[in-house]
Amino acid sequence: MTTSQKHRDFVAEPMGEKPVGNLAGIDEVRGKKLEERGFDKAYVVLGQFLVLKKDKDLFREWLKDTCGTNAKQSRDYFGCLQEWCDTFL
Amino acid sequence: MAAAAASAPQQLSDEELFSQLRRYGLSPGPVTESTRPVYLKKLKKLREEEQQQHRSGGRGNKTRNSNNNNTAAATVAAAGSAAAAAAGMGVRPVSGDLSYLRTPGGLCRISASGPESLLGGPGGSSAAPAAGSKVLLGFSSDESDVEASPQDQAGGGGRKDRASLQYRGLKAPPASLAASEVTNSNSAERRKPHSWWGARRPAGPELQTAAGKDGAVEDEEGEGEDGEERDPEAEEPLWASRTVNGSRLVPYSCRENYSDSEEEDDDDVASTRQVLKDDSLSRHRPRRTHSKPLSPLTVKSAGGRLETSAQGGGGLAMNDRAAAAGSLDGSRNLEEAAAAEQGGGCDQVDSSPVPRYRVNAKKLTPLLPPPLTDLDSTLDSSTGSLLKTNNHIGGGAFNVDSPRIYSNSLPPSAAVAASGSLRINHANHTGSNHTYLKNTYNKPKLSEPEEELLQQFKREEVSPTGSFSAHYLSMFLLTAACLFFLILGLTYLGMRGTGVSEDGELSIENPFDETFGKIQESEKNLMMNTLYKLHDRLAQLAGDHECGSSSQRTLSVQEAAAYLKDLGPEYEGIFNTSLQWILENGKDVGIRCVGFGPEEELTNITDVQFLQSTRPLMSFWCRFRRAFVTVTHRLLLLCLGVVMVCVVLRYMKYRWTKEEEETRQMYDMVVKIIDVLRSHNEACQENKDLQPYMPIPHVRDSLIQPHDRKKMKKVWNRAVDFLAANESRVRTETRRIGGADFLVWRWIQPSASCDKILVIPSKVWQGQAFHLDRRNSPPNSLTPCLKIRNMFDPVMEIGDQWHLAIQEAILEKCSDNDGIVHIAVDKNSREGCVYVKCLSPEYAGKAFKALHGSWFDGKLVTVKYLRLDRYHHRFPQALTSNTPLKPSNKHMNSMSHLRLRTGLTNSQGSS
Repeated sequence: MTTSQKHRDFVAEPMGEKPVGNLAGIDEVRGKKLEERGFDKAYVVLGQFLVLKKDKDLFREWLKDTCGTNAKQSRDYFGCLQEWCDTFL
Repeated sequence: MAAAAASAPQQLSDEELFSQLRRYGLSPGPVTESTRPVYLKKLKKLREEEQQQHRSGGRGNKTRNSNNNNTAAATVAAAGSAAAAAAGMGVRPVSGDLSYLRTPGGLCRISASGPESLLGGPGGSSAAPAAGSKVLLGFSSDESDVEASPQDQAGGGGRKDRASLQYRGLKAPPASLAASEVTNSNSAERRKPHSWWGARRPAGPELQTAAGKDGAVEDEEGEGEDGEERDPEAEEPLWASRTVNGSRLVPYSCRENYSDSEEEDDDDVASTRQVLKDDSLSRHRPRRTHSKPLSPLTVKSAGGRLETSAQGGGGLAMNDRAAAAGSLDGSRNLEEAAAAEQGGGCDQVDSSPVPRYRVNAKKLTPLLPPPLTDLDSTLDSSTGSLLKTNNHIGGGAFNVDSPRIYSNSLPPSAAVAASGSLRINHANHTGSNHTYLKNTYNKPKLSEPEEELLQQFKREEVSPTGSFSAHYLSMFLLTAACLFFLILGLTYLGMRGTGVSEDGELSIENPFDETFGKIQESEKNLMMNTLYKLHDRLAQLAGDHECGSSSQRTLSVQEAAAYLKDLGPEYEGIFNTSLQWILENGKDVGIRCVGFGPEEELTNITDVQFLQSTRPLMSFWCRFRRAFVTVTHRLLLLCLGVVMVCVVLRYMKYRWTKEEEETRQMYDMVVKIIDVLRSHNEACQENKDLQPYMPIPHVRDSLIQPHDRKKMKKVWNRAVDFLAANESRVRTETRRIGGADFLVWRWIQPSASCDKILVIPSKVWQGQAFHLDRRNSPPNSLTPCLKIRNMFDPVMEIGDQWHLAIQEAILEKCSDNDGIVHIAVDKNSREGCVYVKCLSPEYAGKAFKALHGSWFDGKLVTVKYLRLDRYHHRFPQALTSNTPLKPSNKHMNSMSHLRLRTGLTNSQGSS
């Protein structure tokens, strides 16, 4: 399986008020960091993603800067959000 | 400008940052406090590239510049600045470049649609068509998943749309380039791009060498609809230079692609995969033209790979397919891009496939060849190393870069890159190779879309050349065998004739030696001659008789004497001696002496009246005809015998199945009777007013419907006998009821606890496992087709009709839904799949709600939506079915459990 259960769960429905930790590729540590920065809900991160015009590299760059994800995590995260956008936007 | 650009990033205000980014053709989003650092980094990278480009000053730069510039120029008004920026653009396909390139694409496309977007832009626009299919994700995947391909294709389609849209934006520049590529000469092609480039940017001259590549790049990226002419010669160098990289990469990447049946993947892998699928899909979809820009590159790389591997020795079937998929589009777009790509062909070939398979190679790192071992999981290094490779090859992988970048950053771009390289390869291809490729591609093209759908109908790929020789070889062998047997038969026939005569000769020879000792020498010869003559005459006569031309078989003695006299006077005298000898000689010399009657004993020559030949001499044709007739008769007899045997066997089989059926029915009846008796007994326990026995006719009439009674008479009798003989819990008695004597059954087993063991009925619905809500089911029904999984276990099922029970169960569960028009039980599927088609998605949604998550026969049933076209592909008979199906009877056997549980008489599976 290349998409995790987390990913699929997230993409299966509108994110609503889901916390950041629900996103695939974000573990606890990273989630905490994001929350510290003010991105406490998934939709806030979504906002950032959209502001960066859904650009993969920019977004991943931003993720790295913000919470120190590695390449795979950021890829997962990006994929998750992108898919969600494709589905629900 | 440069100085200003070189100012420290920290001093840049947001607006300045924004404009700087715009200068590079980027379309940045709002620079806020959170996005600022990111954009700063981006700017830094762009500047680095600029300097890199200045330093290296390779043609590739120009290409990249031109690419970027073209894209930027097409959309952004800063054409002039774009030119300058292009000059400053580094060749390295750094990630910054990626986004940069992407942006132009997005810009190009979006200029029409409005909002600029990067990667997401095209994706967003294509989200709508892809959204539906995307929702298919999230449900369990399995083998032979009908919608796996739809998903992939949907995803691929979505991405294709994105890519295509992106490339549409690039259409304008490439279009002119494509048009220019129609010319056949290298120089011409290069010139055209040059002119185009010149028109676009002032930095024309430098682009001379790069022009071809630039053009190629543009072509790859741009619309492939124009320019159908390709110059194969121009691409020879491209072809030749591809070798090592391609062959090694193809197997892995292709394998990767085809073994990976997951849903949305890694972008890279998925993109490659989608590229392949897109290629095949592009063939079938209406938005083919959209995908064309995409596919050419993909195809190119795939095709390039294919050809390499083909050269290397056949390549894998998958390679063929991948390449074919790619090359299909590639061959089309080949015309468009080939001309301009000659220059960078070789390198591009190497590099374009490389990037494409690099993407896959990420997962197959250990397998990649050394040149590609520097593959990094990050786009930056990969693109950078790719560039190095390109440069090494010595061409300047302009095209490579752009496709490379695209492949890394965008699934479509990967396709584009691949197709671009493929195009080059393809163009290089000589005519024969071309046809060869086309053959291989055509075949895989068909199997590609079908592959996922019909995995159980796998086909073997046979290389065309191999098949040709195999075909001819088999034909040759067959004809040789036929000829051999024919000759053998003829020889045999010929042999028979000669053999007879030889025997005749021999037999005549030998007796002469033995019994003629007493006769003189001269007489001996004379007699020999006489006998020979007689023998021949008689044989001829007999032959005529046998062949039907004469009616006389024997020669009378007088006629024989007269014949001999005709031949010569000396024969007359010896006639009697000969006859004597024939009589005395017991052996068969070919002449038989016959008297008046058939059985007459001949003792003296005077008794001999007729001479007859025992070995008729027949013409060859007559012999052949007789032999033929004989053979035919014998064959006919043989066939008749075989047919008889078959008929007998069939009949026996029929009888046997009928027996089985009847026995089964009998056992069913017995079970029913026992149930009735037992329940009656239990009722008696509670209600002491009832008689503890039941008359047999009453039981029969309650179990069998009136219209069945006659039919089931035999079965019933057998059941009664069985019960009498084998069932110990039931006793047959005679009772007087209402004045008449009845045979009754009495249940004599005391109500022991053993009978309280619950018999788990099979094939019944047993309730719902979970409540259906938005989390575990799609928000709306997507298609009218469903795939229901886990309804049965094919290993455990016995008999021939169990699939009917499954169908019944489904119909009964959805009995309130009269929109089901086609059900197909896949008896061979490991997962117990049943395919259902409804009148419309609403009905399918209703059925989904009724079935998904229910327990059936101890198994949890899951439901997925399928694509309608795939469903029709798999079940063509469903195309015309539009009458709602109903359960065959009102018993609702499969719902019995639920009925008992809930006390309702109709199904309720819906949440």
